[in-house]
Amino acid sequence: MTLEFTHSDAFTMGVELELMILSTHDWDLMRGAEDLLALIEKVDHPGEIKPEITESMIEISTSVHRDYREMLAELEAIRDIVLAQAQRRNLAIAGGGAHPFQHWAEQRIFPKERFFHLHEMYGYLAKQFTVFGQHIHIGVTSGDDAVYLTHVISRYIPHFIALSASSPFSQGIDTAFDSSRLNNINAFPLSGTMPFVKDWADFNAYFDSMRDLKVVESMKDFYWDIRPKPEFGTIEIRVCDTPLTVRKAAMLGAYAQALARHLMLDRPHEPTLDAYRVYSFNRFTACRYGLEGGFIDAASRTRRSLKEDIAQTLLRLAPHAEALGSMEALDEVRRCIDSGENDAAWLRAQLAATQTLNDVVRRQSALWAGTRDASRTGQT
Amino acid sequence: MDDASFLPTFPFAAANLMLVGAILLCGLAAGQVFVRFLRLPRITGFVAAGLLLGPAVLNLLDQSMLDELSIFVDISLGLILFELGRRLDIRWLMRDRWLFASSVAESMLSFLLVFATLRLFDVGGVYAATAAAIAMATSPAVLLMIMHERRAKGPLTERMLALTALNNVFAFLLITLLFGFVHLEYKANWVKAVAHPLYLIFGSIVLGYLAFMVARWLARWLGKREDAQFVMLLGMIVTTVGFAISFKLSVLLALLAFGVFVKNQDRQHDLMAVEFGPGAQFFFVVLFVITGAGLQLSELAVAGVVGAAFVMARLAGKMVGLVMFAPLSGLTKNKGALLAVGMVPMSAIAVVMVQGASALYPEFGARLSAIVLSAVVILELVGPLATQWALTRAGETEATPRPPEMKP
Repeated sequence: MTLEFTHSDAFTMGVELELMILSTHDWDLMRGAEDLLALIEKVDHPGEIKPEITESMIEISTSVHRDYREMLAELEAIRDIVLAQAQRRNLAIAGGGAHPFQHWAEQRIFPKERFFHLHEMYGYLAKQFTVFGQHIHIGVTSGDDAVYLTHVISRYIPHFIALSASSPFSQGIDTAFDSSRLNNINAFPLSGTMPFVKDWADFNAYFDSMRDLKVVESMKDFYWDIRPKPEFGTIEIRVCDTPLTVRKAAMLGAYAQALARHLMLDRPHEPTLDAYRVYSFNRFTACRYGLEGGFIDAASRTRRSLKEDIAQTLLRLAPHAEALGSMEALDEVRRCIDSGENDAAWLRAQLAATQTLNDVVRRQSALWAGTRDASRTGQT
Repeated sequence: MDDASFLPTFPFAAANLMLVGAILLCGLAAGQVFVRFLRLPRITGFVAAGLLLGPAVLNLLDQSMLDELSIFVDISLGLILFELGRRLDIRWLMRDRWLFASSVAESMLSFLLVFATLRLFDVGGVYAATAAAIAMATSPAVLLMIMHERRAKGPLTERMLALTALNNVFAFLLITLLFGFVHLEYKANWVKAVAHPLYLIFGSIVLGYLAFMVARWLARWLGKREDAQFVMLLGMIVTTVGFAISFKLSVLLALLAFGVFVKNQDRQHDLMAVEFGPGAQFFFVVLFVITGAGLQLSELAVAGVVGAAFVMARLAGKMVGLVMFAPLSGLTKNKGALLAVGMVPMSAIAVVMVQGASALYPEFGARLSAIVLSAVVILELVGPLATQWALTRAGETEATPRPPEMKP
């Protein structure tokens, strides 16, 4: 049985965000997904709102977009609906890749067969999977394009990690990483990258053998950083932490969209194994140091700062963003690297100002809600 | 005999310390027995230990000893009411107006049904009204203990605490206003009938506000250190209890107000949401054992039928009110019913309220206690079980995790 690859319009996009459900009493995670989803079910809303593996998580996803501004508007609308229903239960919502001080052992698996199955299979890893990521989908016209794009976009994965990093704190401590979340994913046996297959037929052969060996049952069992998603007709970038605002989430989507257009139309790279040789190291550096990290370019065999590599990429993406109408988003990426401040830096600054992680979470929840002065509003 | 002065003399010099220690250990042991062998809530064990040791059965803890220990009861109630006040989030009430409406409904219906029931049993008007007002309040002590013990967490748990905070406020206010009628019943003049409730209500709220202002100032000075803020809050709570007693104000209302101000008026977030945790457990155990010792089974014999009717009417009021309003807050009726069952406990605070009335007019207190305390005996033993059952049923207590089976 071969996997059918659904055709999509090239360079369409959509994003999924996993969000925290919080208690407004102590700002710890709160088991409220079931109750909240029951409330949301009764109101009209765009996109999709679904449960995730533990009961303190909720996932929102947009519909398919071509235009950055429309996607941002939809994200804002979904955010406001979730927030309004959460407030009826005195719950708060926040972005961020990891809750700063929750204890994973206290989390509870959302009552759904698939999640129980994952818990049985992975044991404590399933509960430690209470981390919050953004997934970006980019439409491609065929399976062959999906395989090609998955390979060549892997070089840029550190960009996405550093720009989105928002999980400096985990289990009550500063991890020294900008994105600690990705370390949780590394433990899964089928994490990492797609093998070096050359086209969709080759991919199918690989998938069939893995299925015959009973290693996997479906595409869902691969926890790769980037994976083709045949039923959507997309490739899915899964390395981003959920940013602290929907604006940044839309920015990352638009950056991926412009990058995909550049890679598919200008064809600046061919897939090489060389690029994968430095992949893990670049990925680690981006997690650990964020925008302040270094970057090894396998093609030119040179080292530069990650900021410099993003700046050069932005120059090449400009005409594509122009064509897609997303210059605004690229300007925002530019501001991020100019200031050197990602969400992880913002979170660390809040801890310095307030001295407690509870206050940090309170402020990040106010920032998510889109209130202007995060330090004054969203208080309990 | 001078030569033997180094030997102990009777009565022992530190009898009180022995007493407190013994109460703590007996309570602890009974709690353990209840959990391990009877699979009942630990609190029921504490209360049962008190009942056994107290005047009702063995009389090892007699009334004079209980009076000496009243300071522990005051401090424990202060802690609990403060904690409860911190659960009253005014902003939530503004956002979910049906929450407030459902609280008014369940409180009013509990009052009306209990009042009507007591009138059927020919209980006098003022007594019936005061007893019915006491019936409005849910015991925060039992709820907080059960939630702590079962590690309950979730939207229904939060809602139950908010509704409990509200029904306690309603009950305090109503009882205080009824004091005016009690004065009239005992032929006091009008000035006293009006001035006393006003003094109690406004005096207690002002005291709570002052306590909040001092606590916030201290918190700013101390900084965000959890251990320091913990001790500071404990100190402020005990001091406030002392002031409330000295100024003849309501300990309950003052401490509840203190908590409400901390939750809603601390705009700069200087005060941390410290958990009282293990330190408070000491007070809780002592509180429940003493409460148990205060129970009198003889009341049950005298007023058992009235007590049982009281309990049923009270549950009916809460059930109807909460189930009726549940859909308006987007809750299922089933969840509304679980809220009502969870809010069954009525305990130590009712006892204190009865004592407040007794201090005023002993005859009034005696007549009231016969009615209320028989209901308390029933609910003290059944209440914790009801709360535990409701929270477990709602799926918000800590479930035993499914054992992970690794696939080959």
